[in-house]
Amino acid sequence: MTRRELLALGAAAPLVRASAPPAAPVAIARCQTYSNEELVSTLSTMFDQLGGLPRLVRNKTVTIKLNLTGSPGLKFQGKALGLTHYSHPNMVGAFAHLLNAAGAKRIRFVESAWATSGPLEEYMLDAGWNVRRLSAIAPNIEFENTNALGKRKKYSVLKTAAGGYIYPAIHFNQAYEDTDVFASMAKLKNHATCGVTLAMKNCFGNTPASIYGDDAGEHEPNENPGAGRVNCCHLGKRQPAKVAPSELDASTPRIPGYRMPRVTVDVFSARPIDIALIDGIETIAAGEGPWIKGIRSLSPHLLIAGTNAVTTDTVATAAMGYDPRAPRGTAPFADCDNTLLLAEARGLGSADLKRIDVVGLPLREAIYKFST
Amino acid sequence: MWIALLVLAAMPEWIPARWNSADPKSLELIAQTPINCILLEQPNWTLSKAAAARNITALGVVHPGAAALDQARQAVSAGAAGVVLDGDFEPAAAGHIRDVLSDSKIPVVELSARYRMPLDAALPVIGTNQGVWPGIQTEPDNSVKAAPSGAAWIYTNTGFLRFARAASKSLIWVGVTPPEKNTWRVERYLQAVADAAMSGARWVVALDPDFEKRLLEGDAAARKDWTRIGQMLRFYEDHKDWRDLPPHGLLALVQDVPTGALLSGGILDMIAVKHTPVRPVPVRRLKPGVMGPTKMAVDVDPEALNTEQKDVLKSFTRAGGMLLSGPPGWKFPSLKESQITLSDEDTKTLDNIWKEVNAMTGRRNLGARLFNVSSMLSNLLSAPDGKGVILHLVNYSDYPVEGITAQVLGQFKHARLYTPEGEVKELETYPVDEGEGTGVDIDKLAVSGIVKLD
Repeated sequence: MTRRELLALGAAAPLVRASAPPAAPVAIARCQTYSNEELVSTLSTMFDQLGGLPRLVRNKTVTIKLNLTGSPGLKFQGKALGLTHYSHPNMVGAFAHLLNAAGAKRIRFVESAWATSGPLEEYMLDAGWNVRRLSAIAPNIEFENTNALGKRKKYSVLKTAAGGYIYPAIHFNQAYEDTDVFASMAKLKNHATCGVTLAMKNCFGNTPASIYGDDAGEHEPNENPGAGRVNCCHLGKRQPAKVAPSELDASTPRIPGYRMPRVTVDVFSARPIDIALIDGIETIAAGEGPWIKGIRSLSPHLLIAGTNAVTTDTVATAAMGYDPRAPRGTAPFADCDNTLLLAEARGLGSADLKRIDVVGLPLREAIYKFST
Repeated sequence: MWIALLVLAAMPEWIPARWNSADPKSLELIAQTPINCILLEQPNWTLSKAAAARNITALGVVHPGAAALDQARQAVSAGAAGVVLDGDFEPAAAGHIRDVLSDSKIPVVELSARYRMPLDAALPVIGTNQGVWPGIQTEPDNSVKAAPSGAAWIYTNTGFLRFARAASKSLIWVGVTPPEKNTWRVERYLQAVADAAMSGARWVVALDPDFEKRLLEGDAAARKDWTRIGQMLRFYEDHKDWRDLPPHGLLALVQDVPTGALLSGGILDMIAVKHTPVRPVPVRRLKPGVMGPTKMAVDVDPEALNTEQKDVLKSFTRAGGMLLSGPPGWKFPSLKESQITLSDEDTKTLDNIWKEVNAMTGRRNLGARLFNVSSMLSNLLSAPDGKGVILHLVNYSDYPVEGITAQVLGQFKHARLYTPEGEVKELETYPVDEGEGTGVDIDKLAVSGIVKLD
């Protein structure tokens, strides 16, 4: 943390002590396969353990941020994307089925599709998904590519918590604001920069590349983005298009290990997650996608869910065999700050395992070491 | 005379393979496949008569050199039914050998450099020994070379072959051999067969030395792979009626040899890798009526057209066609005659016109749109009755692809998937593009398949 952040944290310390960050329970379950039957049954039990889905979603619009990171053309060892680094379509279908059964009014799948503002349905087709089958699961299923304005007329501007680490407010596609419930459907994975990428880091991709992308306009959004966010969000080499607020402090380190955890917390705090659902049935270790050298396939056969993304990610990090409170320089946060602690410091949720009630599969039985 | 005519008529039916054995027993391996024509290097010419006895046409391979004509005669004396001129023969030398042998009614096939292929000649078979080894190339660290789209870079001869097929009436042989000092998975051989066949050409089957040795020694795994190669050859021979079908689609690419039509990885390949159906229109064939149903066209070098050809494109635009001629001041990079791939610098130059082509075509359906096909190439053809289409698909990865979707322009009621594995599968059709197109889903494809919609 920077001196400025420490001072800010110190000033807030009495408040933090007065109201400790929320520590909602987290459910863990063993799930062997992506069969529809096993997924529906397992997820149903998990959400019952968390108090039931109807309580959360009945008569509500539920927006689900998927994890479809990187070009769908990049596969690891020819495997289906859902078995490595993408959300699995059966998992998406099972969740939609349960949401519909729980009385959700509308189910909206969103993702800022890599390097395109085309329809999300076509991006899913490129990932090998059967979109017709998915659309037929419930009566009101929608798809939105949030990489640009899309079907909307203007962007939403949402403020970050406590003034933000990097940005005071973030511009989003309106789909993120125009919803009652927001769910992050992540994959249990390492991240080359951030150590782990779970429910919170999944939302790094909420940011539209039209504004935060490397080919965003200087002043106005580029509604046909064709690049990622490396220069703007990872490296800070450029500012977002001027329609969005610039960084708070241009003198902060221009290194991904400093910036990405903070941008993650900013994005998450601006658009909090109501349901965090992490798929660790089949996944990869040592990186977030096939473009990272040295990744390998894993089969932890785990599902993790919760209603607070910080506690859910904390339990998930522990299930990956790491100390969720590990400082920078310690695995998995070898070259970065710990996103969980940064989020906790903002009062967004607890990263303290002692305070988190784990239901279902005991954590000690769930641990699957991602680092060799 | 009639024997010579019979031989000429049979040449397009030859299914060729390079064969490095003089052992008559090895012909049993050939007999297990549709291969009916073997190319023999000099030490193996003695196999010619045994081959003939099994109705396999043996061709003696002759390479450039002062003794080439004598060697051609020796091959014939040894029983070869014909001669293959394999290499970069001077046109005069090749012509002389051809003339001399034609007096004896001996057929000659030239596997020359691409730029020396006689595209305008009335020959039953023309060929080249230049080509890329089809497939997705891995880098030394086993990673896959990525295209700018993030998709894997596919090495293919199809762009060149599709132009050559449009420019020539001859059947084309691709004589590329597996790169040396390497052994290859059988999928790469299957891809080499399909890469040529999808474009209506034939790959001259050639095995790497290790595969060849194991096959001839009776290794079970090698025999199994050999059976698969035979299965792939048979698949395309079973559907050879579709070989000469015209390209289908609303986009045309007007180019010719000086503007990179003989290249692998040129503009046609760049468009094809995005699975936009494209009709190659050789400048030499640019005549009234040739643009057909085309609605968009790319003219790579307007300066290269004569007045009549320019008038064809003027008529096209007056009729509502959209014509792209490259950015102002843009010039196609100058190429060496023997060049078949682009340098990195050339690719950057092409990137300028590529961006404009991409902007023009966008997400429009210009015949077919395909999804989850980043490791695949396709070729869309008009069916013989004009009421249907044929969609060739080839997968260049070493793994099967699951969950492919094709959205084909036009209303079709029936769709069938043909694969080398022998299964013909009925596919469900459904309307897309507000009823103007037809969608089909393919659960899984190993190396290749053909979808027929009608």
